[in-house]
Amino acid sequence: MNNPVEEQQSHKPLEINHLSKKYGSFTAVNNVSFSIEPGEIFGLLGPNGAGKTTIISCITTLEEPTQGEVNVFGHNVVSDTKNAKFNVGVVPQEIVNHGFFSVREILKIHSGYYGVWENSERNDFLLKRLSLWEHKDKKVKQLSGGMKRRLMIAKALVHSPKILLLDEPTAGVDIELRENLWEFVRELQSEGMSILLTTHYLEEAEELCDRIGILQNGHLRKVDKTKNLLQELTQRHVSIQLNKEASDFESPYLIEKKEDVLKLQIPSDLSVGQLLHELKLEMTSIKDLQIQEGSLEDAFRNILHDKQGAASAT
Amino acid sequence: MQHNSSLIPFAALFRREVWRFFKVIAQTVITPMINSSLYLLIFGVSLGKNINMADGIPYLAFLIPGLVMMATLNNSFQNSSSSISIAKFSGELEDLRAAPLSASEIVWAMSLGGLVRGLMVGAITFLVGAIFFYIYEEQLFTIANPFTLLAFLIGGGLAFAKLGLAVAVWAKSFDQLSAVGSFVLLPLIYLGGVFFSLDGLHPVWQTISKFNPLLYFINGVRYGILGKSDVSVGVAGLVTLAALVFFHFLARKSVKKGEFGRW
Repeated sequence: MNNPVEEQQSHKPLEINHLSKKYGSFTAVNNVSFSIEPGEIFGLLGPNGAGKTTIISCITTLEEPTQGEVNVFGHNVVSDTKNAKFNVGVVPQEIVNHGFFSVREILKIHSGYYGVWENSERNDFLLKRLSLWEHKDKKVKQLSGGMKRRLMIAKALVHSPKILLLDEPTAGVDIELRENLWEFVRELQSEGMSILLTTHYLEEAEELCDRIGILQNGHLRKVDKTKNLLQELTQRHVSIQLNKEASDFESPYLIEKKEDVLKLQIPSDLSVGQLLHELKLEMTSIKDLQIQEGSLEDAFRNILHDKQGAASAT
Repeated sequence: MQHNSSLIPFAALFRREVWRFFKVIAQTVITPMINSSLYLLIFGVSLGKNINMADGIPYLAFLIPGLVMMATLNNSFQNSSSSISIAKFSGELEDLRAAPLSASEIVWAMSLGGLVRGLMVGAITFLVGAIFFYIYEEQLFTIANPFTLLAFLIGGGLAFAKLGLAVAVWAKSFDQLSAVGSFVLLPLIYLGGVFFSLDGLHPVWQTISKFNPLLYFINGVRYGILGKSDVSVGVAGLVTLAALVFFHFLARKSVKKGEFGRW
């Protein structure tokens, strides 16, 4: 008989192969393939209606794929549903209300759903870690928006899943709480958890994700390491203040020249040293130098508007 | 990691279902108990004095089994149907879909939860009826065939809990759900012989009534308590079993293919 631990280690936490989901003639997800490595935070970015939540719904079996397959640690979510689901924790985009039960009771019920009958220690730890301990006897409707969001996260973690699906977890959450949640997500990653995150906040993806997939109209337009995406698809802005007025200055990177200040836009893979060399500028002639790195927002916009030519999923 | 064979998710859902109705016990148990008491008082005691049944059975004794089964069926149906419809509103149904529970486990856990409520309200109705009987007939109200009674209560209660689950998963709104309850189930229950015996009906209505499956459920319980029934207890047993199997597969199909999204 196969050892389940070894079997689990030999498969990727999440593998999505040629996944398509159609609603009548509308294709919400179109032939999407990607996988998540152990301990990785993978960000799924895209505008509204790109297909992010539909992909999450196919993983959690809320939706049945029209084509393709989804495997969690080698367990197919359709044919080997239960074994796949025991490994997954889900934080849905919309808050779940649970009218009848208190916060602590909700975690007790949820632990049972995931096969842990007695789980007080873990549940109490999560309540304390997510600052819900003082509210443990309240009903969901008595909680603030941020507390509800944290409760959703606690629920997803009661059974210590190997992979966590976060569907826009910080939507409508204030900055302080958002940063607190980011720190918590990093902590989960350091414990070995793999995480699939969908978000509208590009800053969040840039801050947290090791790799990013960009979705548009159900197509996965690009998958790469966050660092590579930034390098490949963004420009750096360099502002050079010279000791004297720059006259007769020519460069293909120049976007603005104003008295003694030169503003240039350079590819992310071009170093400032190389730039100065190309411009034939001596360090002694420079009074001040400022560099602004390209953001994921630029990369995102470039892919969606196809400014960089035919982007492709790798 | 938990495995495929773990029964804990099933047990957790069953516990949740029972826990849920205990949280609102005034609505789920006390209100039906008051309803049954009123039926017993008005029909059994006040009007029943003027009704003579065949075999010399007091009308109150005739009425109690019907009310016990009506309470069991109604409450079993209500428990699973309201649990599902509220979960559709709150989003809890999506949680249930994402959890490692098979369609059969969901159906059994929820229908057993509904059965517990149905049996509780049925037992309370029986007790209240027995007290009325003792007061007005000055004798103990005994059960002729306890195992037959239990079999029909469990079979009918489970069947209706599964039906409630199937209808609630299928329904796209509260209106659709209450329409099934008000326009289909309630008439079938009331016309299923809770308040009257087939003997007292015109032959045409007797024939029509025999197509009502509820007649067999109710008469099964009447046989269990009184040892007498309008229909053969064997036929009643077969109809109850057939309904149980049919509603189980209907509920299972609803859970497998049904809409788990929010209302």
